[in-house]
Amino acid sequence: MKVEAIVIGAGPNGLTAAAALAKRGKRVVVLEAADAIGGHTRPIAFGPDCRFSLSEDRGWVPDNVARMLGLQLRSVAHSVSASIVVDGALISAPTDLGAAGELIAKHSKRDAARFVPFAERISKFAGVLGRVYQLPPADIDTTSLRDLLPLAAVGLKVRMLGRADMTEFLRVMPMSVQDLVDDEFETEWLKALIASAAVRGLRQGPRSGGTTFNLIHHMVGGSARAGGWFAEGPDAFAVAVAKIVTSGGSQVRTGARVARILVRDDAVAGVVLAGGEEVLAPIVISTADPKRTLLDLVEPQWLDPEIGLAVSNIKLRGCTAFVTYAVDAAPPDAFKAPVSLTPTTIALERAADAAKYGEIAAEPHIECWSPSLRWPAFAPAGQHIIVARVHYAPFALKSAQWDQNQRAALEKKVSAALGRVIPGFSGTVKRTGFVSPRDIEEHFLATEGALTQGEMTLDQIMFMRPIPGWGRYAMPIRGLFLGGTGAHPGPGMLGGAGFLAAKAAR
Amino acid sequence: MSANRYDAIVIGGGHNGLVAAAYLARGGKKVCVLERRPLVGGAAVTEELHPGFKFSVFSYVVSLLRPEIIRDLDLPSHGLQILPLESTVTPMDNGDYLAGWADWDETRRELVRHSPRDAEAMVEFGRLMQHMAMAVRPILGMVPPDPASMSPGDLKGLLKLGGHFRSLGADRFHALFKLMTMSSADYLDEWYEFDTLKATKSASGIIGTFLGPRSPGSAYVLLHHYMGEIDGAFRAWGFQKGGTGAISNAIASAAKSFGCEIRTDAAVERVIVNGETAVGVALKNGDELRAPIVISGLDPRLTFTRLLDPKQMPSDLIEGIRRYKFRGSSGKVNLALSALPTFTAFQGDKELMLRAARGAFSISPSVEYLERAYDDAKYGQFSRNPYMDIVFPSMIDPGMAPPGKHVMSAFIQYAPHNIEGGWDDAKRDAFGNAVISTLERYAPGISKLILHKQVITPADIERITGLTEGNIFQGELALHQLFFLRPVPEWAKYRTPLRGFWQCGAGTHPGGGIMGASGRLAALEILGR
Repeated sequence: MKVEAIVIGAGPNGLTAAAALAKRGKRVVVLEAADAIGGHTRPIAFGPDCRFSLSEDRGWVPDNVARMLGLQLRSVAHSVSASIVVDGALISAPTDLGAAGELIAKHSKRDAARFVPFAERISKFAGVLGRVYQLPPADIDTTSLRDLLPLAAVGLKVRMLGRADMTEFLRVMPMSVQDLVDDEFETEWLKALIASAAVRGLRQGPRSGGTTFNLIHHMVGGSARAGGWFAEGPDAFAVAVAKIVTSGGSQVRTGARVARILVRDDAVAGVVLAGGEEVLAPIVISTADPKRTLLDLVEPQWLDPEIGLAVSNIKLRGCTAFVTYAVDAAPPDAFKAPVSLTPTTIALERAADAAKYGEIAAEPHIECWSPSLRWPAFAPAGQHIIVARVHYAPFALKSAQWDQNQRAALEKKVSAALGRVIPGFSGTVKRTGFVSPRDIEEHFLATEGALTQGEMTLDQIMFMRPIPGWGRYAMPIRGLFLGGTGAHPGPGMLGGAGFLAAKAAR
Repeated sequence: MSANRYDAIVIGGGHNGLVAAAYLARGGKKVCVLERRPLVGGAAVTEELHPGFKFSVFSYVVSLLRPEIIRDLDLPSHGLQILPLESTVTPMDNGDYLAGWADWDETRRELVRHSPRDAEAMVEFGRLMQHMAMAVRPILGMVPPDPASMSPGDLKGLLKLGGHFRSLGADRFHALFKLMTMSSADYLDEWYEFDTLKATKSASGIIGTFLGPRSPGSAYVLLHHYMGEIDGAFRAWGFQKGGTGAISNAIASAAKSFGCEIRTDAAVERVIVNGETAVGVALKNGDELRAPIVISGLDPRLTFTRLLDPKQMPSDLIEGIRRYKFRGSSGKVNLALSALPTFTAFQGDKELMLRAARGAFSISPSVEYLERAYDDAKYGQFSRNPYMDIVFPSMIDPGMAPPGKHVMSAFIQYAPHNIEGGWDDAKRDAFGNAVISTLERYAPGISKLILHKQVITPADIERITGLTEGNIFQGELALHQLFFLRPVPEWAKYRTPLRGFWQCGAGTHPGGGIMGASGRLAALEILGR
C-alpha cells in the first residue's frame, strides 16, 4: 500500500492531523492499533454493556482546529463543575461564578469576596495560554518572521493584560498551587478542590512548584470545558473528525498496529505493521508518545544518541489507575461531574508522597464520576457505572508488581472510600473493573501508562516539549513528525498538536 | 545636631548593609551604619560561645562573595582571607564513604570506585554547570528590568537580557531553562546513577529553602550554590580565617577606611517620613538621625511593615509582602569538642580522617533520605533524620579552638519555622538530640566529646538576627521570588515608594548567601552608577 501520508494513532490528534492533510489534498491513511478509534476517549468495556473511557471530560477544541474542521458538536453544559466530599457530605461547586461565590460565602465571606476576581484572573491567564497553544512554540533560536510575528501578537496581548496582571501571570506560573491557594483562601475544601485540578496527570503533590501552571493549563478553554461533555459520547470528537477524513477519500484503519517506522536514506519511507504489511509514504505523523515513537518504532541507528538520551529522559511517570463499578442504584446527580474524595490539601500531599518512593498511596486521592449519568447507554438497563480515578498509583512500583494482590488491595481501598460517600455502596456493586498504569501502557500503547505523554511540568512544555530544541513537530528524521499530546500544546487540547504537526508537515 | 546629619544612613550592619555603606562612602557620601546588636555582621558573625572556642554562629562557609566587591573594596588588605575547604565527604550507611577532593583527578578516581559511568559523566556535568554559572553571572550583576514597564531604561534592559539569552545558543539556553524549572533530583537523574552522589549534589538544591530534592525549583538553588568562586575557581567553598564574622569585619573596616561611621547597639525604631520622602531614622533610645538617603538592609517584611507604617505604603506592595515566602527551614548545631571525632568510614585510617576533617561532611546518604527529611518538615515536624553539612573550622584555622580541641559547625535541615505547636525549649532540646543521635550513627562516640553545645532553631535565628521566620536568604530563592519579582514586582530595583528610602538586603535581587551583590547593586543604583 502506498499513500501520501501516514498518521499513527486515531485519537483526536491523529484524526485532526489526517483531516488537515486531507484538506490539503493528500491521500492519508490513519493506522490505529486498537479495534476502535478515539484514543483515550474511546469507550472500553469491563463487562457486557459496561463501558467508560479514560478521558470523558470535554476538553477544549482550539479555535484554529474548530475553524479548520467546521464541526458542530453538541455539548452538554452541567451546572456543577466539580464536587468534593467533606465529612461524608457532598459540596458541589457551581459552574456559574456568581453561584459559586454564593456557595463559598456560606463558609467564608472573605473567600467569597476573593473567589470571583481570582477565578476571573485565572481564566484571563488561561485565555493567554489558549492563544499560545494555537501556535507552534518559538524557541530561542527562532528567526523566521512567519513564526515570530504571530508570537509577537501574543506577546503584545500579554503586555496588554496590564501591568499588574502581566507580572502576576509571570509570577504565578512557577508557583505551587498550595502557595497560590494559601495566599487567597482560608476555606480548606475550596483549596483542596482547586489543588486537585492542579495535580492532574502529575506525579507531584500540591506543594510542588509549577502545579499552578498545570491548573491554568486545565482551565484553557474556559467555561465550555468546565462541567461540560459531548452529548454523543466521550469519543464524539474523534467520530466526527474520522467522518471528515474518510469522506475525503482517505482511510482510517483500526486493528492496524504499527511495529516499525521505515527509514531509508535518513528519510521516512513508511511503516511496517505488526502483521508484516508495509505501508509506504514520505510523511509519517506519529501521535504515539515520543518515547514509543523515537525509541521503539524507529530503529536506533537512525537516531543521534544525544537525542535518544534526551528522549529517554522525558518524564512520563504515569501514576493513575482506574477502578470501575457497575451498580444497581443511581449515584447522586453530582456524579455527572468529577467528585473528589480528598478534602484537604495535606491529604493530597500525603497521597503524593508515596509515589515518590515507588509506592501506592496508603490513602490515595480519588476522583469519581458516573459516565452512565451522562450517557445512559454506557450501563446495562437498570444499572449505573461509577468510575474512580485513583492518584497516585505509580507505574513503576519499587518493591512490588502490579499483580492481583496490588489490584485487590487498591480496589478494596477505593470501595471503602466510596462506601463512605454512597451509603450501602458495596451492596449495590454488580461488577468491577480495574485499569492499572501497566494496563494503560499495554492497551493504549502509552509508555509508562502516562495519559499525558509527558508530565505537564514547566521543563516539559512549549519549546521544551517533547525534548528541548525539537518542539516544532518535525523530528530528527526527515518526513517524521510528532503530533500527539507529547508535543505542544499537550493534553486536553483536542486536535491541537495534530493540527500544528500537519501544518509543519509540508 | 550636625553630628547626627549624614548623606546616607544604612539600617542593619549585615554584610549587605556594610557593602552598600562602603560603596556609598567610597562614592564620597557621609555614611552611618546602624546595627542593633553589639557586633556587626548580621548572620555573618563570629562569637566566642565557650571560653577559647570561637564559632561562626550562623553562616559558616563562603564562596559566593562577588569578586568585584573584593577588588573594589580591597578586602584582602582589611583581613579577608579565605581558606579553601578541601573536600566533601559523605558517609554511607554501609560504612563506606563518597569523597570529593580538591584535586579533580583524585575525585574522579574516587568516583570510579562507586560508578565508572558517573565518573565519566562528571566531566561533562562539571563543564555544563560552569557554563550555566557563567550564563547567570551577568544577571547577578544586573539591576532587574521590569517586564511590564514601557520605560526606555527597562526596555533596554529587557532587550539586553534577551540578547544575552540568545547569545547562549539553543543548547545552553535549554539547559538553563531546565535548571530554572526542574527539581535537583530529577536534574541529576539525567546525569548520574550513584544514589549517594546524587543525594550529596542535590543537597545544594535544598539549602535554605522549604523544598525537597524532588521539588521543582530546587535545581535553581543548586545552580545558585554553583556560582561561587574563589580565585576564579567555580564551586569552591571556603572558610574565612577567624570565622565568617571576620568577613563582616573586613567589609566594615573597608567602609571605615572610606570615612563611614558604624554604630553598634543602635537599634532603629522607625524611618522618619516627611510627606512622601524619608528624611532620617529614629532610634529605640530616642535619638534621631537625619539623612536624605535611608537604606534598609533588613528583610522585606521588616523593611516595609516594621520600619514604616504599612498604611503609608501602597496596598499592593503590602499585599505582595504578605505573600512573600520566608519559611525558615534550617537550624544550626555548634559544638565545642574535646577532640576530633572519628567517622566510621575512616576508622583505622587516622590520616585520612584528619584529611577529611579539613573539609566538609555531608549527611546525605541517599536522595530518599533527604526527601523523607523534607516530608517530616512538610507536616510541621523537624526531620527525625536530618540533612547536615558539617565542618571543623578549627582544623583549617587553629585559632578557632584551644590546642588539641575543636569546634564543629553543623548546618541542619529541616527545622521548619512553623513547627507544630511552635518552638520552645523542649522542642529545641529534642531537635538537638535528633541531630546528636544522627551524628552518633556516623561518628560513634561524638557525644562523649561535647564540651559545649549550641542548638539554633529558626525561631532563634529570627530572635537573634531579626531574619523573619529564620530564613537565611531573607526569603526563599523560589522562581516566583527572583529577579524582577524580588521582593515584589515593581519594587525590585532597590527603590521603595518613598523618595530617599532604599532596600539593599538579600531580599532583593540576587539575594542569598554571603554574596554582597544586593548591597553593591543598591549602592550603585543610589549613586546613579
